[in-house]
Amino acid sequence: MLPLSLLNAAQNKPMLVELKNGETFNGHLVNCDNFMNITLREVYQTSAEGDKFWKLKECYIRGSTIKYLRVPDTLLDAVKEEQNRAREAGRSARGAHVSGAGPRGRGAPPRGRGMIRGGGGAVRGGRGRGRGM
Amino acid sequence: MDSLIPFTTSGSLVDCVDRKMLVVLRDGRKLQGVLRSYDQFANLVLEDTVERIYHQDAFAEAWRGLFLIRGENVVLLGEIDLDQEDEIPLRQVEWTVLEAYHKQDVANKKRREDIKSQVLYEQKGFCKEGGEGDGY
Repeated sequence: MLPLSLLNAAQNKPMLVELKNGETFNGHLVNCDNFMNITLREVYQTSAEGDKFWKLKECYIRGSTIKYLRVPDTLLDAVKEEQNRAREAGRSARGAHVSGAGPRGRGAPPRGRGMIRGGGGAVRGGRGRGRGM
Repeated sequence: MDSLIPFTTSGSLVDCVDRKMLVVLRDGRKLQGVLRSYDQFANLVLEDTVERIYHQDAFAEAWRGLFLIRGENVVLLGEIDLDQEDEIPLRQVEWTVLEAYHKQDVANKKRREDIKSQVLYEQKGFCKEGGEGDGY
């Protein structure tokens, strides 16, 4: 689960975005892209000093101005579960497909985490980036 | 084995995943959390993050939760030795107690830096730097 995939999975979730200049934006994520550009809705903006506040219906934030995003603690677990479900679904679909040809279904690789591979035939060896989620 | 891994962000951080890490940001903030993920820009996902502030021999922690940090803002990423962590010669105090002192420290440091850059600019012929805000 790469950081930007996590951001993608955070759509419609509440989050706090702090910009490099210290301003913060509290709102729900509407959309994001691979540059980390984001749009938020129902936003509370706070000045860097924390003394001024604005309420915005919707706002767009250029990714390059972001310092960090704080997302719900439950998001990681939710995403992991989602991946597991997807993997299970993929496994059973593949299993049904090859079942006629004998017990050759490889199924999902026995790692705990990592992305769902696109059904590649070759055995994946080597170091790879498996641990990077 | 080490020699096989090129010195890239990915190669350097792969061993840090699922470890408790210290992250220092460019604004001086210090975060501790479990590194769950990263990418080629050193964007980081930190879980169970706490922010720490220090003043003299005291420190305080505040719970911050799940972070997605944009890589640009990271100054330092270091693994925390879980054994040595228990033996730090600092005492923990309440965040609310220490926060004011910490803010004062930050303000003092900023003032010193401002004076320094002013002297460098006026007397030593240095150019003015953009400062923390980066002037974007």
